[in-house]
Amino acid sequence: MTTYLVRRLFYAVLTFFGITIATFTLIHSVPGDPIAFFIGHAGIHGIPPETLKAIKHEFHFDEPLPKQYLYWLRGAVTFDFGRSIVDRRPVREIIFEKLPNTFQLNIVAFLLAALIGVPIGLWSASRSGRLGERAMAVGFFLLYSLPSFWVALILIQYFAVKLNVLPLFGMQSDDYADLSTLDQILDRTKHLVLPVLTLTYGQLAIFARFSKSALTEVIRQDFITAVRAKGAGSVAVWRHAFRNALIPLITLLGLTIPYLISGSVIVEQIFQWDGIGLLYYNAILARDYPVVMALTVVTAVVTLFAALFADILYAFADPRVRLGEGTQ
Amino acid sequence: MSRRFAALLALLLLGFACHRERKQPETATATATDTVIDDSKPQDGGTLIRRLETDIVTVNPIIQSTISDRYIADYLFTPLVYLDEDLQPIPGLADSWDVSDGGKLYHFELNEKATFSDGTPVRASDVLFTLQKIVDPKSEALQIVGAFEYLDLSRTKVIDDHTIDIAFRQPLAAQLLRFNDVFVLPEHVYAKGNFRQDYNSTAVGSGPYRLVKREPGKEVIVERREDYWGQKPPLKTVVLKYIVDHSTAWAALKRGDIDETRVTSDIFLRERNNPDLTKIIDFKRFYTLSYNFVAWNTRSPHLNDKRVRHALAMCIPIDSVIQDLYHGTARAMTGPFTPDDFAYNPTVPVIRYDLEGAKRLITSAGWLDSDGDGIRDKNGKPLKIEMIIFTGSATTTQFAQMLQAEAKKAGVDIELDQLDSSIGIQRILAGNYEAAYLGFDLDNDPDPFNILHTSQFPPRGQNFAYYSNPEADRLIEQARVEMDKSKRKDLYWRLHEIVADEQPYTWTVQVSSKWGVSRRVRGVEVSRGYGLFRFYPGLLAWWIPRDQRVHDHAPK
Repeated sequence: MTTYLVRRLFYAVLTFFGITIATFTLIHSVPGDPIAFFIGHAGIHGIPPETLKAIKHEFHFDEPLPKQYLYWLRGAVTFDFGRSIVDRRPVREIIFEKLPNTFQLNIVAFLLAALIGVPIGLWSASRSGRLGERAMAVGFFLLYSLPSFWVALILIQYFAVKLNVLPLFGMQSDDYADLSTLDQILDRTKHLVLPVLTLTYGQLAIFARFSKSALTEVIRQDFITAVRAKGAGSVAVWRHAFRNALIPLITLLGLTIPYLISGSVIVEQIFQWDGIGLLYYNAILARDYPVVMALTVVTAVVTLFAALFADILYAFADPRVRLGEGTQ
Repeated sequence: MSRRFAALLALLLLGFACHRERKQPETATATATDTVIDDSKPQDGGTLIRRLETDIVTVNPIIQSTISDRYIADYLFTPLVYLDEDLQPIPGLADSWDVSDGGKLYHFELNEKATFSDGTPVRASDVLFTLQKIVDPKSEALQIVGAFEYLDLSRTKVIDDHTIDIAFRQPLAAQLLRFNDVFVLPEHVYAKGNFRQDYNSTAVGSGPYRLVKREPGKEVIVERREDYWGQKPPLKTVVLKYIVDHSTAWAALKRGDIDETRVTSDIFLRERNNPDLTKIIDFKRFYTLSYNFVAWNTRSPHLNDKRVRHALAMCIPIDSVIQDLYHGTARAMTGPFTPDDFAYNPTVPVIRYDLEGAKRLITSAGWLDSDGDGIRDKNGKPLKIEMIIFTGSATTTQFAQMLQAEAKKAGVDIELDQLDSSIGIQRILAGNYEAAYLGFDLDNDPDPFNILHTSQFPPRGQNFAYYSNPEADRLIEQARVEMDKSKRKDLYWRLHEIVADEQPYTWTVQVSSKWGVSRRVRGVEVSRGYGLFRFYPGLLAWWIPRDQRVHDHAPK
C-alpha cells in the first residue's frame, strides 16, 4: 500500500511540472498579450513607449520565456502567484476571494445531483428495459441536452421576474450583514436556488445514467448469477452488485471533484455569482498571465489529488487493486 | 437519503415563505404619484442603484482603465474643468483660467472653498502632484498619459495655494478639454506607498461623494459628503452594482433591483413600445462619441489605389445596413467626424450603394477578370482581400458578410478572418493585415491626428491605414494648434472632403446607445456625445422623489 502511494505521489509531482510548463508555454504562445490588451483599452491618444516598457519590465516580459517560468515557479512554491496584471491585486487574494463562492455553489449542486441521481440510477438498473425506465432515460437525455444559459434565463423569467419569489442575481441581499445567522442562511439559500438548479439538472442526468449503466454491467456478470443461484435474497444480490459497481462510480466522483472549484462561466455570468469561472474567463481574455497560471495550477493540483484520492478509494473498494500491486 | 432531501426541500420552502415577508416594494406603484411631483424641485436624499458592465479595476482616477472606473471617479473626484452638456469647458475645481503664450501656458485659479473628503483644502501643489503622476511612466496612466504628452513640468509652476501655471512644449487646441480628465489627488495621501498598487480600493477626493465600500466582484457604494464645498447633489447614496450579463441586468431593471442600465439593441427594439414597461422604464437613445469603420491598409498592393477603396465603400449597402442591421437606430458616417461635431462638414455626401459605379472604378484601376473566374486580377494576381473582424458581435459579422457578398458581385474576393480582439489589435498595429472592421471611441475634441497624420503610423500612433497625404497632414497640423474655433472648423471641413475622397478608412455608421432608466429617477438629462454621463451636472442632478425610494433601508 505504501509503495503504491509513493509511486502515485511521484507521478503526481511529475504531472504537476508537466502541466505548469505546458500551461506556461501555451498561454505565452497564444497570440495577443497583456500589452495588446492594454493598448486596446488605452485612450485615443495612445500610450507612450516608456510606459509600455515599464509594464513589460515589471512583469519580466522583457526576459526569455524559460527565465520567466523560473520567476513564476520561485513564487509558486511559496504560494506567491504574483499580482494580477489588470488590477494589481495579489493573485492569491483574488483566488481566495472567489474560490469559496464557486465551491459553495458547486458542492450543493454536486451533492444534490449525486444524492438524487445515484438512487435513480440504481432504481433504473433494477427496472432496466421496462417502459418506465425507458421513458426516464429519454427524459434524462432531453434534460442533459438542454443548454444551461437557456434554462437559466427561463428560470429567471419565471421565478425572479414573473412570480418574484426568488432573487435575480448575486449571492446575498443588500441587507445581508444586518440579518441574523439563520436569516443569513435562508438568504444565501434563496440566492442559491436558481443557479443550483441550472447546474444540477445536467449533472443529475449524468449521475443517473452512469450509475445505471455501471450497475447493469455488473448484474449481467456470472458471479451475480451464482449469487442468485445460491438462493440469496435480493438485498444480498444488490449488496454484491453495488460494491462491484463502485469502481466506475468512484472514477466519476473523482473526475467531478476538480469541477467543484473550476466554476461555470455561464451560470456565474447569468446569476452574477462572483466565482472562479468568471475570473478565469476574464483573465484569459485580458491575457492576465499570473491569474491564468495560478488558476490552472490550483485546478491541476486539485485534479491530481482527486485522482490520487480515487486511486486510494479503489484500493479500499476493490482488494484486487491492492493485490495487483503485490504481484508485479 | 430521502429524509435528507426532504429536509433540504423544507429549507427551500422556508426560504420562499420568508421572502414573502420581506417582499420588496412593487415597482408598478412608481408612477402613481406622478402628477404631484414638481420636477423642477429636486427632493433631497435617497439611494440610486446603477449597473456596472465590468467590475471596477481601480478607484484611482489617474490609472483608471474602464468606463466603470470613470463612473466612480465622477462621484469621488473633481476634474479641473467640467464639461457642460454641449461638452464645452465650465469651471470644475478651477474657478477660472486663461491661456497664453500661443496656447502653451494655462493659468488656473482654483476654487478656494474646495476640500478633500478628509477635510484638507485642495491646493495648487496637489494639482502639480497629480500632473506629475499622470506623466510618470511608473503610474501606467494608460488612458490619460497620451493626452499630456506635451506637458512641460519644468515650466509648470505653483504660484500660490490656489493658483497654478501649467506649461506645455507645444500648443494644442484640444488641451483645455483634456483637463476634464485631471481628477486632482491630495498629495499628502497619494504620495505615500506604491501609487499603482495601494490606491485601487481606497480613495480621498474632492468630489461630492466619498467612497464607503468597494467590494470586488460585487459593488461600490458612495455616499454624499455633507461637508461638500460645491453644489450638493440631491442623492444621498449611490450603489454601483457589477452585473456582467445583459439579460440579467435587463431583468433587474424590470424588477426594480437597479435603476439604470444600457440595454441591447434587440431588447430596446422589442420592448420600447411595450406599455407595461414604458410605465416604469424610460427608454433613452442617443449618439455617443464613437463610430464604426473599415480600415484599409493602404500599403497593400490590393488597396493602394483610392479607386479600389472607394469602390469597396460603394459596395456597402449602407441604407440596408442601417435599416436591416440596426433597425434605424444608427446613422451613416461620411468621415472622421460625427454629425454632431463642429468639425463635421455637412456637404460631404454619404457614399451610397452603387454596384455598377463600383465595377467601373475597379476596372479603371486596372483590375480586370482576365481569366474569367469571377474574381478580378492584375498581373496574374487575383483581387483577394483578407478582412479582420473581431469576435463577439453578431452585427459586425453580419455587416462583414453583407460587404463580402456585394464585393463578390463586383469581382472582389473578401475573405473574413474572425479574431479575438487582442489578437486582432496586435496584427493590425503590426501592419500585418489588409482590411479590418472596427469601432472607435473618440475624444471630446475632433482632432484626428492620431489616426490620419503621417507621423502616427504604428507603433507611434494609430494611423494603421498608413495614410499619408501632405495636404491632409498640413491641415491636421494647423487645426491642432488653431485656437480660433471658426478657423479650425474651416480646416477640418477641408480635411473631411479630402479623406472622404481618398477613403483610407471607410467610415460606415454611428450606432446609437440605448439605455433604460427607471421612471422613479428624475432630472435625467442627455448630453451631446456623452449621453447620460461624464458631463456636468449630469448624474449629479439625478434625484428620486421621497415616496418612491425603494432602495432605502429602514434606519438600523
